[in-house]
Amino acid sequence: MARSPRPGASSPALSRRGVLQLGGGVALLFATSACAADSGDKSKDGKSDGAAAKTLRIAVSSYLSSWDQDFVGFDLTALMLYKNVFPYLIDYGVTNTGGSQILDTQNITPTFAESFEPDAEQKVWTLKLRRGVKFASGNEMKAADVKWSKDRAFAAQANVAGVYRTIGLTSADQVKVVDDYTVEFHQAFPSALTRQIQAISLYVFDSVEAKKRASSSDPWAKEWFAKNPPTGGYFNVAKATQGQEIELSANTDYPGPDPAKTPTIRISVVPAASNQRLQLQAGDIDIALGISQRDIQDLKKTPGIKVISAASNRQVAIQMSVTAAPFNDVNVRKALAYAVPYEQIITNVYGGDARAAKSPVPLDMPGYDEVGYPFTHDLDKAKAAMSAAGRASLDSELVFEADNEEQQKIAVQVQSEAAKAGIRLKLTPLDPATLGERRTKKNIPLQITSGQLWVDDVEYMLATSFVKGANLNYSNYSNPEIEQIYEKSHTTVDTAARNALWKRVQEILAADVPWVVICQPNFNLPVREAVAGWVQPMDGLARLRYLSASA
Amino acid sequence: MRILRFVVRRLLQLIPVLLGVVVLAFLLVRVLPGDPVRSILGQNATEEDAAAARARFGLDQSLWQQFLDYLRGLVTGDFGTSIQSGNSVGSEMALRVGPTLELVVISVSIALVVATVLGIWSAKRANRVGDHSVRMFALVGNSIPEFWLGLVLVLVGYSILGWFPAPNGRVDPDTDLTPLTGADLVDGVLTANGPAIASAAAYLVLPVLTLVVGVVAPLLRSVRASALEVLHSESYAAAKAHGLRDRTLHYGYLLRATLVRLPSLAALVFGTAIGSTVLVEYVYSWQGFGQWALRGLLYRDYPVVQASVLVIALCYVLVFLIADVVHAILDPRVRL
Repeated sequence: MARSPRPGASSPALSRRGVLQLGGGVALLFATSACAADSGDKSKDGKSDGAAAKTLRIAVSSYLSSWDQDFVGFDLTALMLYKNVFPYLIDYGVTNTGGSQILDTQNITPTFAESFEPDAEQKVWTLKLRRGVKFASGNEMKAADVKWSKDRAFAAQANVAGVYRTIGLTSADQVKVVDDYTVEFHQAFPSALTRQIQAISLYVFDSVEAKKRASSSDPWAKEWFAKNPPTGGYFNVAKATQGQEIELSANTDYPGPDPAKTPTIRISVVPAASNQRLQLQAGDIDIALGISQRDIQDLKKTPGIKVISAASNRQVAIQMSVTAAPFNDVNVRKALAYAVPYEQIITNVYGGDARAAKSPVPLDMPGYDEVGYPFTHDLDKAKAAMSAAGRASLDSELVFEADNEEQQKIAVQVQSEAAKAGIRLKLTPLDPATLGERRTKKNIPLQITSGQLWVDDVEYMLATSFVKGANLNYSNYSNPEIEQIYEKSHTTVDTAARNALWKRVQEILAADVPWVVICQPNFNLPVREAVAGWVQPMDGLARLRYLSASA
Repeated sequence: MRILRFVVRRLLQLIPVLLGVVVLAFLLVRVLPGDPVRSILGQNATEEDAAAARARFGLDQSLWQQFLDYLRGLVTGDFGTSIQSGNSVGSEMALRVGPTLELVVISVSIALVVATVLGIWSAKRANRVGDHSVRMFALVGNSIPEFWLGLVLVLVGYSILGWFPAPNGRVDPDTDLTPLTGADLVDGVLTANGPAIASAAAYLVLPVLTLVVGVVAPLLRSVRASALEVLHSESYAAAKAHGLRDRTLHYGYLLRATLVRLPSLAALVFGTAIGSTVLVEYVYSWQGFGQWALRGLLYRDYPVVQASVLVIALCYVLVFLIADVVHAILDPRVRL
């Protein structure tokens, strides 16, 4: 049987050859380039095993979602980078505690600013800028830049505008330019929180450059700022390879104390924790900022790597909905507080690397008092509290973050022990958006929360977590006396008087039990042995200027 | 001409299909529980702040108005603004589609070649040691999760052997590659940047291998089954009985008839490969389309989810269109 030829029948033979040639070429390319890449990687100056390394390499879990601080969502990578590349006019100092260097939240010092001081009534705060501070564009930082930045923040009605309310700043009119280097903030009331709130809010844009990029439809140059890194911080962004790497170079024109110690820092994006671990072991990165607890335990025994440990103010808790059954009954809340196996969680989930918490006010926060949480694991007391509530058993849901291994482990252990007291828990992992929505609707009976406060102060803690309408008040908790104390605290600036208020707050919280306070896990960071100068950030946002790599 | 008419007709048919996808994606993402606005607000945000943010993204409008605005934007090529980043979705997508397409196209192309060669080779040696080995390979390839395979390859290829670069991206930033398409190997070639070509190729090896192992298995089984069918057919037996040369038998009878089913299967596999990139991109820090779409879904970033669904649907229909055309070229009995 003869095959009938058709037009173009010979062409496939050519294509096949072409395909084979192409395939061979690609294979050859892969082979040669793999070797080239291998040798290239080993010769990078980023490795810190030489003397006085000029480059530090840091791995993070994700690329930042935007360069615009006023409009960004909650993105820890972005917020950490902002701390290092935006000029923040004031910042925390550093103190040594228990052999660890930590950010000193009680000591806020001018950095790009010359001074930031209140008047006698502590209502008008005067910011004086240093002369000659320049953005990368060459424009000098002036009072007009501060004013433009604050006007933008109020217009955004997002991050800064929200936090400014706590110190009585609600409108752009309250920020006044006095002269080229002086700006005044006219607060509605004096506040002990002013320095701390401004430490997280006083970042400045290059307004001259911004105005060039603005348009009638985009008066605040949102589009430009979302894509273009800010300049003039402790570091400038030398290069940003989308999704992959950001290269920071030290700002040699920084006029304040503690300039950046390392000339270049390369931040690479490595989402998988296991890959961060491998790269740390191989010496391709010096610091791994997204590694899992289990890997950290293993890395403690790995040659060439040290794990920096420090006490942290991150607190893990279970918030109970005090407005819906069954946890609207204080005795049921007490039953759960007695049923949670605190020490077992510290041992099994954190390998002993956590501190037991004795108050909803975090350990080490000024005003902390052990009266705040008098509950320990005691199943007999848990059952007694259930009896006092007139219940033999109850069913509830325990919600936690879907991709959070730590919370999952805690949930399982709480479920197991609570069942012994008659509290049957159904574990519900939720993705971020669903969790966010249910939190807004306040319809979660029990949920595991974890986090640290950006301002190390009980007033701020009340503002965010324990007063009516507070954004993190997932318990929907409200107590008239605490509301009064909160109002009073706004204008109370005397330390002793504030501490007296905080003691009363903790007594009330101990009686009302809106939270099961589980523990405060320690902070652990695996780094290459050559890395020095890590300062534990009490707001969770690393200050890279202190870092160095030595021989 | 016949093919051109077919392509034009099919392209016109795409319009209602894609319109359906647009409507479904728009509605389904809003049916899902989750509030995208709350995820971008700070700790002290009030209801007024949330309302302001909703107004900023047009989420305070009626569903109809939002849909009409979205459609109007699509017509002008505007996919909207990402709620998470505040950036234009179109520009974000442009950065991410290229890398993922490069990964998938190279992987599926290699898988097609490997499956064809091995499948026919295996069928010709049916029930012998070589055939059993190939079938075992296909079985293992089908069973291994890409995520696990990726981690093993990183461990062996990067950590133990040190042959491949660290899994931290797609190209060495020091090569100063100028991005044009987002596909780094292609951009390296287009800009004649030798170090970038070498680096991008080196970064591609392990993720491509991971995807190839995953997608080659179903192709291999199909090719082998088709080849066996042809080898046992009367027409092949008759051709062989007529004493045709092996080369003629192989290329003229076996290969062509065997490959008839492959295009539609390849199109399916292409879709599977796009889905697999979500995990592969995670393991290799690829920062491509899959990771972007997943993050959009997790945070209910409506414009991102809508755009990614539309683009995936577009890829699917175009790949199936190409598959149909190739099928028709291979098999003249197919009517276009």
